[in-house]
Amino acid sequence: MTAIGAAGPGGAQRERLKHALALLLPATLFGFLVAAQWQGQQERSSLSVRYNAPLTDAAFALQGEQNTLKAQLQDLRKRLDDIQASATTQTGASSEQESRLLELKAKAGLTALAGDGVVIQLDDARGTSAGAKDLDKSICHSTDITDIVNTAWRGGAAAISVNDQRIVSSTSVYCVGSTIMVNGTLMSPPFNVLALGPQNQLLGAFDDPSQLRDIKQRRDVQGLGFRVTRATAIHIPAYDGALTVRHAIPR
Amino acid sequence: MRTSAGAIAVAVVALFLGVLAVAQFRSQDVYSRSLQLETPASLTTLIASLSDRNNSLRDEIFDLRLRVESARDSVANGKGSLAESERQIAQLKVFAAQSAVRGPGISVRIDGQFDERALSDLVNELRNAGAEAIAANDQRIGPRTWFGPGPAGTISVDGVAVRGPWTLKALGATDVMYVAITRTGGIVGQFELIYPKTRFSVAKESTLDLAAPAAPR
Repeated sequence: MTAIGAAGPGGAQRERLKHALALLLPATLFGFLVAAQWQGQQERSSLSVRYNAPLTDAAFALQGEQNTLKAQLQDLRKRLDDIQASATTQTGASSEQESRLLELKAKAGLTALAGDGVVIQLDDARGTSAGAKDLDKSICHSTDITDIVNTAWRGGAAAISVNDQRIVSSTSVYCVGSTIMVNGTLMSPPFNVLALGPQNQLLGAFDDPSQLRDIKQRRDVQGLGFRVTRATAIHIPAYDGALTVRHAIPR
Repeated sequence: MRTSAGAIAVAVVALFLGVLAVAQFRSQDVYSRSLQLETPASLTTLIASLSDRNNSLRDEIFDLRLRVESARDSVANGKGSLAESERQIAQLKVFAAQSAVRGPGISVRIDGQFDERALSDLVNELRNAGAEAIAANDQRIGPRTWFGPGPAGTISVDGVAVRGPWTLKALGATDVMYVAITRTGGIVGQFELIYPKTRFSVAKESTLDLAAPAAPR
């Protein structure tokens, strides 16, 4: 009362104005952000949510179904192997044929392998902004994986897997939008490529400056995650997909 | 009283401001690969691909069930499982690229500038379209095949220099592979933009013969 009285009615008005102005800026920013957030959600919901929710559910359901089908396939392959093994024991069937079958299964990638090799880790650059100018260079692409696999074969790898998917003669690395599929299985970074084989030769292939130039440059400039390390006792799973041979006939 | 009420109001506003700023930053700025953020068109393509893959698995499961029954009966009747072993060997010889093969498919001729990465991408695309066996000129592509630069006018395939023009032969479902390779925006269309002086021609073939690999790996 005393202070107002001392400053007079004009001073009190100025005080109220100062308080109002102090709140004006944050309140405006607050409103802007509320609007931006609401708008962002509106943009996503108006087109995408209507279709994306059921489509995403369908994709996840199909991936789950694929896992079940692969497990059934593995079970049937094992049952067939058991029947053949017992037949060989009973009838003394050609051990030459049996060993030929085992050799072909190994070459086709139908048997799991363990041993020393290298691990190649590939990941999107951390904290990459969705609107970044060089977004394409900061993230992993399917062609990066095929280039890494190619380098590993060149370096003498005996077997390779990408996030537990065995690389075989029918393997394709496929990209739809930002989702990558290997052997028809949905994947996202980080990718762990396991290459079983002579470690020094494999590391030499990856260290060769003429190999994977693009990936190495993006690692150095954009921060793409790319690392090759020695690894002992790595486990490469057997191929668990279909052996589709319908059109090609052996001669 | 008025001053402290104002300070509380400012604090509350500032708190919300901070929360919203973080939410906004997270929701819009950081790149995310969530499946939920794909476009409906991409999701539809993904679903079609997953469905195709699952159908192949179902077909093989159906086939394997019959083979398990047949092998079990054969063993029970004292005939052994020779027929089943021979069948598996024939299938695996094709799958592991260990024998010469014959069948329908497509051929892709590349005449002009081309490189090993593009050839690797083309092989990947053919495999994705369901190719069961592939050869580049007469060099068979196996499960562990690698591509590298070769001397001028050549591409190294498993260390063997393969000279252009290159013809890729792929055995499989002819129409499926042909459409996958030649569709608008497909790999051949992309190559035509990247290598404007190179000629690409794709043809459907009723019978293709692929030699056995020179040294099976």
